[in-house]
Amino acid sequence: MNLIDIRNMSIELKTGTKPIFAVDRVNLTMKEGEVRGLVGESGSGKSLLAQAIVGVLDEKWRVDADRFHWRGNDLMRLSPAERKAIISKDVAMIFQEPMACLDPTTTIGEQLEEAVDVEQLTGFFWQKRQQRKQAAINLLHKVGIKKHEVCVKSFPHQLTDALCQRVMIAMALARRPMLLIADEPTAAMESTNQGQIFRLLASLNQLKNMSILLISHDLENVTHWTNNITVMYSGQFVEAGTTEQIFNQPYHPYTRALVDSSPKANRMIPNKSRLMTLPGSIPILQHLPIGCRLGPRCPRAQQKCVHAPKIKNFHSHQVSCHFPLKDSYS
Amino acid sequence: MLIFTLRRFNLFIFTMLLLTILSFSLSFLFPGEQLINLTGQIDASPEQLAILADEYQQQSGLLSQYFSYLNHLFHGEMGYSMTSNLPIATEVLNRLPATIELTCVALLVAMFFGLPVGFCAAIYHRKLPDNLILTIAMVGYSIPVFWLGLLAILVFSIQLGWLPSAGQISLLFEIEHVTGLQLIDILLSDSPYKWQAFQDATRHLILPVIVVALAPATIFMRLARSAMLEVLDTHYIKAANAKGLTFSQIIYRHAMRNAVIKVIRDVGLQFANLVTIAMVTEVIFSWPGIGRWLIESIYQRDYTAIQGGLIVLSTFIFIVHIIIDFVYAALNPLAREPRNGKR
Ligand SMILES: Nc1ncnc2c1ncn2[C@@H]1O[C@H](COP(=O)(O)OP(=O)(O)O)[C@@H](O)[C@H]1O
Ligand code: SF4
Ligand SMILES: [Mg+2]
Repeated sequence: MNLIDIRNMSIELKTGTKPIFAVDRVNLTMKEGEVRGLVGESGSGKSLLAQAIVGVLDEKWRVDADRFHWRGNDLMRLSPAERKAIISKDVAMIFQEPMACLDPTTTIGEQLEEAVDVEQLTGFFWQKRQQRKQAAINLLHKVGIKKHEVCVKSFPHQLTDALCQRVMIAMALARRPMLLIADEPTAAMESTNQGQIFRLLASLNQLKNMSILLISHDLENVTHWTNNITVMYSGQFVEAGTTEQIFNQPYHPYTRALVDSSPKANRMIPNKSRLMTLPGSIPILQHLPIGCRLGPRCPRAQQKCVHAPKIKNFHSHQVSCHFPLKDSYS
Repeated sequence: MLIFTLRRFNLFIFTMLLLTILSFSLSFLFPGEQLINLTGQIDASPEQLAILADEYQQQSGLLSQYFSYLNHLFHGEMGYSMTSNLPIATEVLNRLPATIELTCVALLVAMFFGLPVGFCAAIYHRKLPDNLILTIAMVGYSIPVFWLGLLAILVFSIQLGWLPSAGQISLLFEIEHVTGLQLIDILLSDSPYKWQAFQDATRHLILPVIVVALAPATIFMRLARSAMLEVLDTHYIKAANAKGLTFSQIIYRHAMRNAVIKVIRDVGLQFANLVTIAMVTEVIFSWPGIGRWLIESIYQRDYTAIQGGLIVLSTFIFIVHIIIDFVYAALNPLAREPRNGKR
């Protein structure tokens, strides 16, 4: 059974005139224990999609989906409050800027304690307080913070970014989630710290069988840690498959460009002579192209591309393009 | 925290310097003889004047004149009132406590009502309560103080007869002068009518406080509203939401504290505004405070009193400003330590 199964999820920015689809019919499925990468340039709607799953988008957005199942449970039939209750029990999310995601005026300890699930506590309230404290400290140990006395008394601005991210992960673990959504967990971090965070996530995946949705704008950065990858561009679904399929045999021109632009890939595909990237940049929300949004930047674009392509499935390697690069690998 | 304190202290010294220079130069700018303006001795004989001129170093340069003025100030000598012939320092000391009482109570009342209402508006952003509160705030802010004061007296004192319209306490009660702050003096006194006196003083306080507090309260409403909106839009509120906290938990545990801190920072600035309103209100309600005295002095061209009153009132405003700054620092961990701390 799939852990999460999303079909054609759209996220619409409510405006006075015409609605803008910041995310346009995106699919996402994950199995239990899977680590999936969600990759795309900055501004392709990855964070929006993640926030829509967790249900923390504010009123100016409207989320719609043909199918939104959580462990076989049809969430679209539930009210937003019920959906939120189910999701916040089993799904945790860590955000792009860890420092900004911690309340600057509350100590780390207090913030950790309030994340602790009430159901895990027993006894009278004075016992519970003690248990809460202990649970917070245990959480810090789990994410590899040994100096917990200092940490619980600190305010967020007194910690480094990497430490804050560990605290965020600790908080996410408090509810023992089945799925952890990590939105660019290592952005703006030094590479040693990046490695530590990724290793921590990988160990959580292996030891606790926790599924992880790893969001990144950098394909190469996450390939080492993921089983499968979904690629997005400008709010549209691009391609999904195993990490090997995506990295070694991308079918979509956009994925191909992403792979080709990473230096490591050029070693694996020796027949490529120069670093190839697409011209232009990602369109802004106010001026989205019709049909396939990659059209204006795509080297293979043809007239047909003004209609949005349907998803084609090649042995569970899904690609959304009228002219996939399928034949170039035979 | 030490650096923070030192910085405030520097600011205090610098501001006092500017204030005293301003007040000193006023004695030149006012019509009449500068020495008389400075000392307020209008009836002095030529011999007395000569002694004063010597005291204030009139024959030396401007700088030493200024320093001798400062010297006198530090010893609490601000000259004599031109109208009552009493020392300015005594006059001020008799009246300042009443003003402190009125303004501080009004500030607390304004915050106590303004902040929650503003938060409420932000929580119901763009819905009916928000619009209602914004409208009320706009109306409250645009009502002129003297009109409001007179109206309040007309309705609540004259027509309904609920509350007294003038003074600080009924003349029946004799309260010993200890701190000068009426309410505290009453509580300290051992009069058998202590509680009656306290009630009476409170009843005298109600109308002026409401009149003074109204406009600042509406400002606090709007400050609180925009601070809360800003806080509700931050990442940490979104993260707390994703953490599974309920909306009221988020508001009480995270949003309120951060929004209050944002507002507190601006309260100091509003206090000067509040004191101005209090001065007008003191006249309307015959409140025996320094504001009424200062306005009367202006009418009577009592230049010495104007100078002294200005210095004292500005110092008071400034001290409150600094106290509020310290409250802000105490609440906000970011202001206490420099950011580079342990990185
Ligand atoms: N609060 C917002 N208001 C308006 N537009 C937004 C907001 N947040 C994101 N967007 C827009 O939605 C698009 C997708 O943003 P985002 O999901 O943050 O992209 P990513 O995480 O992939 O970098 C971008 O074009 C961005 O400009
Ligand atoms: S559908 Fe057309 S424009 Fe879009 S990626 Fe495929 S070839 Fe390029
Ligand atoms: Mg993002």
